[in-house]
Amino acid sequence: MGSIAQLVAVAVLLPLVAGLICYFVRSSAVRTFTVVVTAIALIVVSLLLLQNGPFEYSPPPMAGMEWGTIILVADMALLVLFLALGIYLKNVLVTVFAVAQGAIMGYVEFGMGIRTEVQPAFFVDELSIIMALVISIVGSLICVYALEYMKDHEHHLHLETSRQPRFFFYMVLFLGAMNALVFSNNLLWVYFFWEVTTLCSFMLIRHDLTEVSMVNATRALWMNSLGGVAFAAGIMFMLQQAHTLSLKELISGQTPGVAIILPLSLLVFAGFTKAAQMPFQSWLLGAMVAPTPVSALLHSSTMVKAGVYLIVRLAPAYVDTHLSTIVAVAGAFTFLLTAVLAISQSNAKRVLAYSTISNLGLIIACAGINTSLAISAAIMLIIFHAISKALLFLCTGIIEHLIGSRDIEDMEGVVAKFPITGVITVIGVITMLLPPFAVLISKWAAIEASVNMPPIALIFIVGSAATTLFWVKWVGKLLTAPPTAVPIKAEKIAALYVAPLAILAALAVVLSILVAPVVDLVGKLAVAPYYKAAGIAAAGGDVSTGIGIATIWPLFLVLAVVIVPVYLFVRVRSEDVRPAYMCGENAVGVSTMEFRSVGDKPEMVNNSNYYFDKALGEASLNGWANPAAIALLVALVGVVVWR
Amino acid sequence: MNDLLIVLATIVLGPLVGGFLFGIDRRLTARLQGRYGPPIVQPFYDFIKLWSKSRIVVSQSQSLYVLGYLLFTITALCMFVLGQDLLITIFVLAFGGFSLIMGAYAVKSPYANFGAQREILQMVAYEPILMLAALAIYMQTHSFMVKDVFKLNHPLLISLPLIFVALLIVLTIKMRKSPFDISASAHAHQEIVRGVYTEYSGPYMALIELTHWYELLLVLGIIGIFWATNPIVGVVLALAAFVLEIVVDNIEARMTWPWMIKFVWTTGISLSVVNIGLLWLVR
Repeated sequence: MGSIAQLVAVAVLLPLVAGLICYFVRSSAVRTFTVVVTAIALIVVSLLLLQNGPFEYSPPPMAGMEWGTIILVADMALLVLFLALGIYLKNVLVTVFAVAQGAIMGYVEFGMGIRTEVQPAFFVDELSIIMALVISIVGSLICVYALEYMKDHEHHLHLETSRQPRFFFYMVLFLGAMNALVFSNNLLWVYFFWEVTTLCSFMLIRHDLTEVSMVNATRALWMNSLGGVAFAAGIMFMLQQAHTLSLKELISGQTPGVAIILPLSLLVFAGFTKAAQMPFQSWLLGAMVAPTPVSALLHSSTMVKAGVYLIVRLAPAYVDTHLSTIVAVAGAFTFLLTAVLAISQSNAKRVLAYSTISNLGLIIACAGINTSLAISAAIMLIIFHAISKALLFLCTGIIEHLIGSRDIEDMEGVVAKFPITGVITVIGVITMLLPPFAVLISKWAAIEASVNMPPIALIFIVGSAATTLFWVKWVGKLLTAPPTAVPIKAEKIAALYVAPLAILAALAVVLSILVAPVVDLVGKLAVAPYYKAAGIAAAGGDVSTGIGIATIWPLFLVLAVVIVPVYLFVRVRSEDVRPAYMCGENAVGVSTMEFRSVGDKPEMVNNSNYYFDKALGEASLNGWANPAAIALLVALVGVVVWR
Repeated sequence: MNDLLIVLATIVLGPLVGGFLFGIDRRLTARLQGRYGPPIVQPFYDFIKLWSKSRIVVSQSQSLYVLGYLLFTITALCMFVLGQDLLITIFVLAFGGFSLIMGAYAVKSPYANFGAQREILQMVAYEPILMLAALAIYMQTHSFMVKDVFKLNHPLLISLPLIFVALLIVLTIKMRKSPFDISASAHAHQEIVRGVYTEYSGPYMALIELTHWYELLLVLGIIGIFWATNPIVGVVLALAAFVLEIVVDNIEARMTWPWMIKFVWTTGISLSVVNIGLLWLVR
């Protein structure tokens, strides 16, 4: 087993090196080799970190330069790059925000006269390790999948020179930046890596260089730059009021939350922008113009998870404050509204996007409830949502290449036509939606955590109902097929697709079966040190919150009893199959889906889902929901200032 | 071991009681409509007849969905009887409902798919009320475990009267009674034939009927625990609710799904919220 120094170096720097190799060596074989090896290395390292447990570490100076100085220089270079981008894109907001960040950072470093160095440089507790596992395992699998996907993608685009080198540079770099972000102790370092993820996401969203992708990438850039300004201002006020930028000290309870409430609220605001909470949801929705692996990466293991990570990480610092209450309300608001908005969408990627924003809202609301149980639920959601959501994006990407559409209405019968992809997609939805799978167990924990704030509980409950609606409609469409007894033939599917899909699906199921020991560890190791109690624990094979017990194993047993006998023993004979009922007006045959229409003219049956877009569409909800969300953000910062 | 016996008893005795209740329903409805009606044991005759018919299907996976509907509903009932977490019980019941909906989706059939859409809407309508009831019960017992309701020294009905009324709406939806029998009515044809059930026949239909018996017991059970201090009163309460539903069914017309959503989400949820709000204020 490698030393801590080596593990950190691999987790943070290997992606940078691998990215550079991808960028400069244009051979596709080298690229595939590099990405696969990096993926395996990152996964192994994250598992070793888990085995090793929490640690603190400060890397020695490199070639006589302090790392703090290197990061400062790199940070300034990055801000100059953002400024140049703002001018190049002729975007006032990007330009202004880059200048503002530069000014604040300059003041923090040279104008305040307070030491910004922090010891240790890396403060890695169980939450950081959990994040590293999510980033390294889920993120790496997405990068492997992208190898195959981008081949297809560029084949469809008929490019003369491949743009994959830069694509994989940013994809892999993203993982390193995320790992560094969750390891860093100094807020200035967190801020730098935060900005690197902003840059990576901008570059990846605009990857195809179409008009739409340029517009959407620019929107992502300005919204996240606004978050960057809030982050920088948060750092400035933190330094002023707490005289330290050490996360470790800030969350250890030495500084009373009320004294540093303004900087905390600014940092939480930054988290809201990155996690695409309302009213900033449009950047993440727009981001889906990028190739699907980018969406998968942004939505599951990186980018948005950086936002919720910061909010959950800081939660112990603002426990029992009004800020915490507003965070809960704002998160719950986004959870409900985006779940409702998802109902009106027939574009699968948009449904997934809204579902992501909704789940992030739930995580943030849990951070706002800020009890041991709520934080446990938040961390569980971070883990399990990442796995299932990555799986669903990857499946959608494959389906899109297979049927040439990402519309749910066009996905009718995917399970019958492409059983492997179809069944894995169904597994993805079921692991998001139903008991005893881990995402639902996390949601259950969230609801039980909200009982002392009934208004929040009410929003959770109503939001859950909305969530059910959009998932069930989708999975139903996937399963619909004409009557037939013909055994389904599996489709051919590339190895680089199968491996990530199979691993993610297996993870979603196995971690659900093992949810009790997993949450027990989450509670004991990641939550108890800050909240004096674990909040959640294993009770035999079940999960206990102290006020309720989620049955796990018996439910898996029932599920097995439902599936296994049917799979093994039930065979349908073709003479037992009948056509669907159409008032006796079926045209010919069993599986033809035609009926005799007016004048006995045969007509195809065409079924479609309800979408309620008049009542629940973006046009009718955004008009008041976005202003309401802005009001909540004003409250977030405003109430604090006013106090 | 004790738990295992309770589970076995629930699985064996559940349908006997449930089927018998459905028989009473048929008889009572007939009397309300000026007919004589079938014998009380008619549902069992129906079950046997359906069971002995040949297996005709429209999709390969039909048995999977029917089995899922049956077994998860039984599981939910068993969890309730064992005094488990009410929220999880509601989720497991929803898994059963999900399975039924998938069965209706699985074949490209206009009526079944229509029914499936409406069944989701019904689920979305009643689930929040069930969950709010669980929340309200928690506010009284400080636990989500059903068994802890029995430790309370006053009946829930006293402090949760509005929640109780909201649960009666759920009972109507679950029994597929007017005005909420929109995805499939209990009897005869409706404008979308038999909605979610359209493509099921023979033994599969028999299993669906069986599932209903278990399902009815569960919903009546949730109503019964509102008088847990005296189980006999609890049973009477549940039976009274059951009879009330039959009367309502016979004097009400079927409404449309938009009406159902509006009614349940406004009236039902308001009742629940007001009750919870009052509990929160006087805590």
